[in-house]
Amino acid sequence: MKALPLIIFALAALAQWAAPLSQIWTHEQTLTHGTLIKLKCSAPDPYDPLRGRYLAVRPDQREASVPEGVKLEQGMHIYATLTTGADGLATITSLSVKPPTSGNFVRVKTGYTYDEKASIEWPFDRFYINEKLAPEADEWFAENIRSAKGIIAEVRVLNGRAVLADLSLDGKPFREILKQRVR
Amino acid sequence: MNSHHRWLLEQLPQWERDGLLTADAVRVLQERHATDDSQPGVAQVIMGSLGALLIGAGLIAVIGYNWDDFSRPVRLLFAFLPLLATQIASFRVLQHGDAAVAWVRETTALLQALATGACIAIVSQIYNLGGEWPDFLFWWMLLSLPLVWVMRSHAVAVFYLAGIAVWSVSQVDPLERWYASALMYPILALGLAPFWPGWPPRWQLSRSLQWALTLSTGVGLCAAAGSSAYLWTGARYGHGDAWAWLWIFTMTVLFLLPVRPPDLNDTRRHDPQVSLNGCLLLIAGFGISFKDGSREVLNGLGSALELPWTWGCLALVIIFGIPAIRQKRWGLIVVAALALTPMLALALGAAGTRVLPWLMSLHLLLIGVLLIGLDFTGRRGSPRLGATLICALIIARMFESELSLLVKGLVFIVVGIAFLAFNILMSRLHRQKQLLQP
Repeated sequence: MKALPLIIFALAALAQWAAPLSQIWTHEQTLTHGTLIKLKCSAPDPYDPLRGRYLAVRPDQREASVPEGVKLEQGMHIYATLTTGADGLATITSLSVKPPTSGNFVRVKTGYTYDEKASIEWPFDRFYINEKLAPEADEWFAENIRSAKGIIAEVRVLNGRAVLADLSLDGKPFREILKQRVR
Repeated sequence: MNSHHRWLLEQLPQWERDGLLTADAVRVLQERHATDDSQPGVAQVIMGSLGALLIGAGLIAVIGYNWDDFSRPVRLLFAFLPLLATQIASFRVLQHGDAAVAWVRETTALLQALATGACIAIVSQIYNLGGEWPDFLFWWMLLSLPLVWVMRSHAVAVFYLAGIAVWSVSQVDPLERWYASALMYPILALGLAPFWPGWPPRWQLSRSLQWALTLSTGVGLCAAAGSSAYLWTGARYGHGDAWAWLWIFTMTVLFLLPVRPPDLNDTRRHDPQVSLNGCLLLIAGFGISFKDGSREVLNGLGSALELPWTWGCLALVIIFGIPAIRQKRWGLIVVAALALTPMLALALGAAGTRVLPWLMSLHLLLIGVLLIGLDFTGRRGSPRLGATLICALIIARMFESELSLLVKGLVFIVVGIAFLAFNILMSRLHRQKQLLQP
């Protein structure tokens, strides 16, 4: 048996493990050590043929003011500083090209810019759900998305990385509400 | 071709017993038509690939269900177990080396590639990762590529070629940086190079892989041409009229690409890149030969000539065209020149709009005549294709003309009779040639 094909195979097999493992590591770090940020959001219910059913999560805030003297281009990666208000919900209070030295911030992508404002693309946009719960989730969303309380995305934030941990309504986790409804 | 050889080899012992062939003749034929059984048969590859695809698709569907009731570590185990199992299976196949059964090698390699994709998909599902599907596809293809080299897998090579072509098309976006645009396609395609070790590479490709390579490079390079236009102009919609020309020049390069040196003893007619790109060039030539839209065609050509992609293609056309001229491959050259003729019309300025349809019609007529003439002079031509071209050209010009319906009808009848007569003549000549052969 030749050695070179085996070495290449071993490296390929390692890379096939390393790619998902590195994702797991960074996201576990964020989930474990990240700060919990709550964002009010809206979401319809699409489907991903590879990864199944998900709720497309869109935080209500989709644009922010561009600081004076900063020129942003569409598609740029920038940092959005998040500040939690008295209601417990976070909003973007500033944008910067370099990572801020303090506070909670998320790396986001810029969309179009106009009148000193820039639209932003959040680093999370989907929350996967069980196929069985999906129809119930549809109804739940339709009923609650326009309520005053709104649906809250619970996001863990660490060093600019954000992981969508859960969705909630009135402090109750989304999956728990759905399971109660299914019963 | 292998199946024909195999059939012949199976018949030889019987023919020897029947006294039709001597033992020496049998030995010579066996040596001359030896089959290479190390390459998997098409049916084997298809069956193996289908099985692997079904299992892979099933795996992805099971993942799609989203097993909410299990904890995160258990769900992660679901992601990695199939990957580990397929890696072990591939390792076992590798241990067998050349003795490994071809279809088993193909199936395990494809299964491992699919399990890799499924693993990344389930991890991104568990952590609710956003991101676009082209990013996922890009990493999936990169992680699958080494399997083509080490497992010598045709199925994964086809899968990879399809994947990078789809990825390239998705990256034709004015907002993409060059390293994330379709311009990366040539580099990704070069990733397959170790599949043909040594220098110069031994381009002994199976027919299916040849077609996959032709389709993938055609789509991928046309996407790269689009990205190059966006990046060069920096405009969101700029030079949109030049795109068709970028594609035509790209097809011309692929058409002339000297992948396999012409072998006079080779009985094969054409390689897929010649057949496909030749047909597309002829269709484009016909399109340009119509009077309507000549102005837009020349405007597009003018815009295309401002782009570096066009000049790169033209340089390659010259580089690849010179050996074709030296080898007197006139059929190839005259079809490739379809992309260059409109430049003459462009050089004429305002009059070019009127001249272009006539120039293209003349060029197409020349192709038709040449394809017929080459065959009559004992060279490699394509008389039936030549006759079809001339017929189509006459029909196209008749449709465009303002002649009466009666005249058009009579012309169609005459052309139809001439076409049928030519077909009968060619059949007779072909039969005579066969009878004259020793």
